[in-house]
Amino acid sequence: MKKNLMDILACPICKGDLILNVVEENEEEVISGTLYCPVCKEHYPIDEGIPNLLPPDLRN
Amino acid sequence: MVEIEYKKARIRLGNTDLVYEPAEDSFLLADAALKEAKPGMHILEIGTGSGFVSAVLLANLKEICLVATEINPHAARCAKTNAVEVIRTDLFKGLTTRCPETRFDLILFNPPYLPTSEEEKVPGWLNYAFDGGTSGRETLNRFLDEVRDYLKPGGEILVLISSITGLDAVKEKMEKIGFAVNVVARKKVSFEELMVVRGKLF
Repeated sequence: MKKNLMDILACPICKGDLILNVVEENEEEVISGTLYCPVCKEHYPIDEGIPNLLPPDLRN
Repeated sequence: MVEIEYKKARIRLGNTDLVYEPAEDSFLLADAALKEAKPGMHILEIGTGSGFVSAVLLANLKEICLVATEINPHAARCAKTNAVEVIRTDLFKGLTTRCPETRFDLILFNPPYLPTSEEEKVPGWLNYAFDGGTSGRETLNRFLDEVRDYLKPGGEILVLISSITGLDAVKEKMEKIGFAVNVVARKKVSFEELMVVRGKLF
């Protein structure tokens, strides 16, 4: 995902802002990392460049 | 990996046991979207599947800003290989409504529309591509209940429906939400008629 995608992403549970933590990135985009919701205390994974914003019970 | 070409786009398809394979409905929505989309627009496709419709738009229009959502992990990965910026989520769940500037000019949706009972469900993620609940309109109705919050004033939606879905019920619901409603494309295929319905906010 490109970093500017952060402008439109939200926690799927509370719709609050998320904090991006990058583990791996290239010139274009974030390849892996997490999106953290400080209100719900939930980490959402970014894998293969795709942010996974499903609630935890639907994630896998 | 199987690839198809459509209107300047080359689209890689996923395993058809896991990812919906583009069909007449996909082509009809892509054609209608090409007519509505303008350069500079912010476009969202809900439930992009293989990424077919979004990839056709990206291949034919410069300077559009396009993102898509998809619930099925296999389909999301397929869309990503087609260079579609995809977010794995359920309809609009992972998207914000907080600031008006990030809302969309055009939102596209080809919903699952087959009336489906418990016994008729397909195993696994592919069920999300077909299962419209017992009415055939359950996912579309969830989409319509929320879509206004993600559109700019004057923004518009294009949804694919079938004669099985029932145009009148969809039209009535869209008008209640505040859309001016038109059918902008039609195609008869075997036992059903496919339609692209446009809703434009006043």
